[in-house]
Amino acid sequence: MIKVERLTKKYGGFTAVDDVSFSCQPGRVTGFLGPNGAGKTTTMRVMVGLTVATSGSVTIGGHDYHDIPNPGRHVGVLLDASAQHAGRTGREILTIGAETMGLPASRVDEMLALVSLSDAESKRRLRNYSLGMKQRLGIAHALLGDPSVLILDEPANGLDPAGIRWMRQLLKSYADRGGTVLLSSHLLNEVELIADEMILIGGGRIVAQGNKEQLLSGAKQQATLVTSLDNTLLAEALQRKGFAVTTAGSGLRVEAPAVEVGRVAADNTIVLTDLRAGDGGLEDLFLELTSATQRDDIPEGVQA
Amino acid sequence: MSATAPQILDLASTPQVSMLRLAKVEVRKALDTRAGFWFTTSIVGLVLVVLVIVALVATDSFKQFDNFLSIAGGVLGYFMPIIIIMLVTSEASQRNGLVTFTLEPRRSRVVVAKFLAGATLAATVMVLAAVMAVVANAIAIATGADADWSVDGNLVFNGFVLANAIGVLVGFAIATLLMSTPGAIVAYFAYTIILPVAVGFLSALSDGFDRIAPWIEFNTAQVPLFEGDYVPSGEEWAQIATSGFIWLVIPLVLGVMRLLRTEFK
Repeated sequence: MIKVERLTKKYGGFTAVDDVSFSCQPGRVTGFLGPNGAGKTTTMRVMVGLTVATSGSVTIGGHDYHDIPNPGRHVGVLLDASAQHAGRTGREILTIGAETMGLPASRVDEMLALVSLSDAESKRRLRNYSLGMKQRLGIAHALLGDPSVLILDEPANGLDPAGIRWMRQLLKSYADRGGTVLLSSHLLNEVELIADEMILIGGGRIVAQGNKEQLLSGAKQQATLVTSLDNTLLAEALQRKGFAVTTAGSGLRVEAPAVEVGRVAADNTIVLTDLRAGDGGLEDLFLELTSATQRDDIPEGVQA
Repeated sequence: MSATAPQILDLASTPQVSMLRLAKVEVRKALDTRAGFWFTTSIVGLVLVVLVIVALVATDSFKQFDNFLSIAGGVLGYFMPIIIIMLVTSEASQRNGLVTFTLEPRRSRVVVAKFLAGATLAATVMVLAAVMAVVANAIAIATGADADWSVDGNLVFNGFVLANAIGVLVGFAIATLLMSTPGAIVAYFAYTIILPVAVGFLSALSDGFDRIAPWIEFNTAQVPLFEGDYVPSGEEWAQIATSGFIWLVIPLVLGVMRLLRTEFK
């Protein structure tokens, strides 16, 4: 649905986006991951025609964004929740959007209800909104025209944990109904919970893409964090197998893949209460992949 | 439907946003902020206050509908451009241009819509001013002045409509050129206050400059629109055209070009 082909954007001598190609499928949430300044926002701005590409192209549903009539009815966009007139009320901001798109005023109330902004909150001016409220309003604005494509830049930014969970469910069900979602984030662990498909970008270049399993299959998993009902017994059993074990918080850190730890526990009928990768998972992978193209001072293999 | 969801957006049933709707939204945007609403209200209020004071204290011979209309036009013409400046520059200063130009990516249409919105607002405020001039003249007559309702067509067209239209366009030009609310307002006052004063000084000092000034300074050139019989002579029209080209046409073209190309961040 969204197709980015060999996109490059240069600002003078600086290349913000460097030969980037990817696509986003309907019915899926695509996560666009990268550290600050990796080129996520620039790519999204090119998608919606706010920035002119140096070379390459982006089409949404087969069309150049400029050629989509009343684009708000097809593509919901949230680039920056703070980029609204601070003196307007939340309700007024949505009303302007609805009027531009030719939607009935009732749509504004529907959207306010959807993002759980109360009537009183909707009458406050944007400058009095918290970042989380701005994000909710921004998501409401993106959904106003009942679009089939959503492009959201850092939508989880500023939301509280309940808000993040709410947004996750909202986007999931939106994609399940056939919608296309592209959302960017630098919160890697957050995106892996939402996204079906991930695109990792660093220094303006795509460093990896695929679903979580595909991405992690190449990465070596070396450490596991485990807690059991009898940690002493488990530690002894693991050490007998030749794995290095250290105490970590209330549990153990084992230099072995989770499957090996689980097998040892099963063999010794020890009940596990927690078992997970001790590496940062995607985060480690991400830092590893971007360290070559990114700044030099990213520490190698940051531990979870 | 996830597996079979279409890869192509069907645009057939979506008409583009009509110019009327875009212009209506822009009018709404000019008035829906505290700054926009109170500024507009204040201008109208200021015109009313000035007119009532004149109606009460001016000499009876001055109390004619023509004069009231001329005063209303002058006060309005001075402040009208600021409404336009705020409407245009807020897209960059308040950053809502990100949304405006995402909902209508063909920027030239937004520019036209803002022009239309500015023209609509200016026309509305001018009608209000004319109504207030009627009220002021009625007060004047009620307080003893002779009833004089005669209207000079040249005043209405040149001193009222044309002068205000030029003001609105100058505001538009400055706004698009600077794309910053405080910057554009300061520039507007510099253009309308400091520039004519500076030109006045130079004219007083140098005899030659006195003759050149109306050709190169737009405010000076426009004076014949508001004074005397409100009809500029052929030479004065030429001065309006020449200085207008320098201070209005060139900035407006450059400003609109900038608005069409600038990257809204």
